[in-house]
Amino acid sequence: MPNTRISHVPPGSQDLLAGDVRRRRRVQRTWFELAEEEGYQEVIPPTFEYEEVFTRSAGPELASRLIRFVDRDGSLVALRADFTSAIARVVSTRLASAPLPLRLCYAGKVYRQQAEGLGRRRETFQLGAELIGDPSPAADVEVLRLALRTLWALDIRDFQVNLGDIRFVRPLLAGLTPDAADALRTAVDRKDRAALAAGAREIGAPAAVARALIELPELIGRSDVLLRARSLASGPEAEAAIERLRAVDALLTGEEREHVVYDLGEIRGLGYYTGIQFEVFVAGVGRAIGLGGRYDGLLSLYGADRPATGFALETDALADLLAEEG
Amino acid sequence: MRPLRIALPKGRMMDEALTLFDAVGASVDESARASRRLILPSADGRFEFLPVKSGDVPTYVESGVADAGVVGLDVLGESDPDVLRPLDLRFGGCGLAVAGPAGTAYPDLPHGRTPRVATKYVESARRFFAGRGMQVELIHISGSVEIAPLLGLSDWIVDLVQTGRTLAENGLVVFEEISRSTARLIVNRASHKLRLEEHQRLIADLAGALESTA
Repeated sequence: MPNTRISHVPPGSQDLLAGDVRRRRRVQRTWFELAEEEGYQEVIPPTFEYEEVFTRSAGPELASRLIRFVDRDGSLVALRADFTSAIARVVSTRLASAPLPLRLCYAGKVYRQQAEGLGRRRETFQLGAELIGDPSPAADVEVLRLALRTLWALDIRDFQVNLGDIRFVRPLLAGLTPDAADALRTAVDRKDRAALAAGAREIGAPAAVARALIELPELIGRSDVLLRARSLASGPEAEAAIERLRAVDALLTGEEREHVVYDLGEIRGLGYYTGIQFEVFVAGVGRAIGLGGRYDGLLSLYGADRPATGFALETDALADLLAEEG
Repeated sequence: MRPLRIALPKGRMMDEALTLFDAVGASVDESARASRRLILPSADGRFEFLPVKSGDVPTYVESGVADAGVVGLDVLGESDPDVLRPLDLRFGGCGLAVAGPAGTAYPDLPHGRTPRVATKYVESARRFFAGRGMQVELIHISGSVEIAPLLGLSDWIVDLVQTGRTLAENGLVVFEEISRSTARLIVNRASHKLRLEEHQRLIADLAGALESTA
């Protein structure tokens, strides 16, 4: 009888060998070359941190997936579940007096609990960048463009970035009980027309809010959708969302625009996004392989109030796509 | 580009789904349907239908192997897949209910004993009883749930009830309905973005067909 503690690794972990290693290194090399060219400096945050760094920022979903352990002095420590939270801490402390804007990049592993049986890993490679100290649409575009150029540099052509702004949906959920807001947020995220209509009835939404909620699943497409959405915007916050998306659209090149889908129901991101946010979808992978957006409130949670925007891509998924082309 | 691939649950719901697709001009000819092929193309070339076990529809759609699928809300409640759910297709109606032998106590057993409940729908049952603040012991079985109380495996069952005939034949009665379920169109998140126009057309066509039959 073989010793299974030696012959196996725990579920969700794995050894990487040969081609799997080469392809990941190629993705990371391509990434760092590009990031360096654009003036981004690499940071390597620690592999484990006080859990508060992650629970403070990213919301209950990520908090429930931390891999934690108790440190020598009894404090709770978590493996790095998210680079952005760790970098926000570094920027608010050690880099608090650094001149802005700051351009930082990284590549390494993140660790998150996963349910068994879904074939998902608990340790994955990510790469990404953060642009700190610039609130402008140009900064949003710089970060989005860096994500697009990374895919192109890896010869990935068939992809779409799903771009929204959380400020369009947020006022529609204002003033609701946490349960009602959660239920509606889930319905928006699933583009569930039946649940949106039922939810709007249940909360007794005013006609304009009900209409916006029910139309949300249709507010997805190329730039023309932004015009349509404007007539449904409920108040200054939602209008600011549309204005920002239009400003971003105006700064994109024609080629870039072919890879951007505007989706006013895009609310997937981690809890810290405050403005535009996007997901990256690549042909051949059934789920998003990247996530990005603006998180102007995050750094103030760590003591330094700065506007910021950034993104992360899944290195493993990119490496697997390279494998398919041989 | 290849046709959109739609996972359908084998059985009655698949027949109803194909009838709906037929109404939007995407028919599957009889010989293909009878042939037990793994993939059924629609005559207009827009779709490929993938007949699978109903519990597997969410897996095929979430992974992206299928671009979209048709599946009951009851099944989604169990596996909670990360997919879009744009349409209630309204057919395939049934209810999830707590049932047991006529004369069995509900919601409290004598002497405060913890009830044992046999079900295929463990997650939905767990959510329901937790929401009621009831403590029960759930027993997962994968078929013929209605015989569990008769054989002494459980006190109650949680199961789908369509007409109530199977329950009545086994001397069981419904204590309480947990939820109503109908068929849903579900869509893979990545496919929805990468082939947006095709998905939007499919959703609009199906919504239109449902309107006209309502």
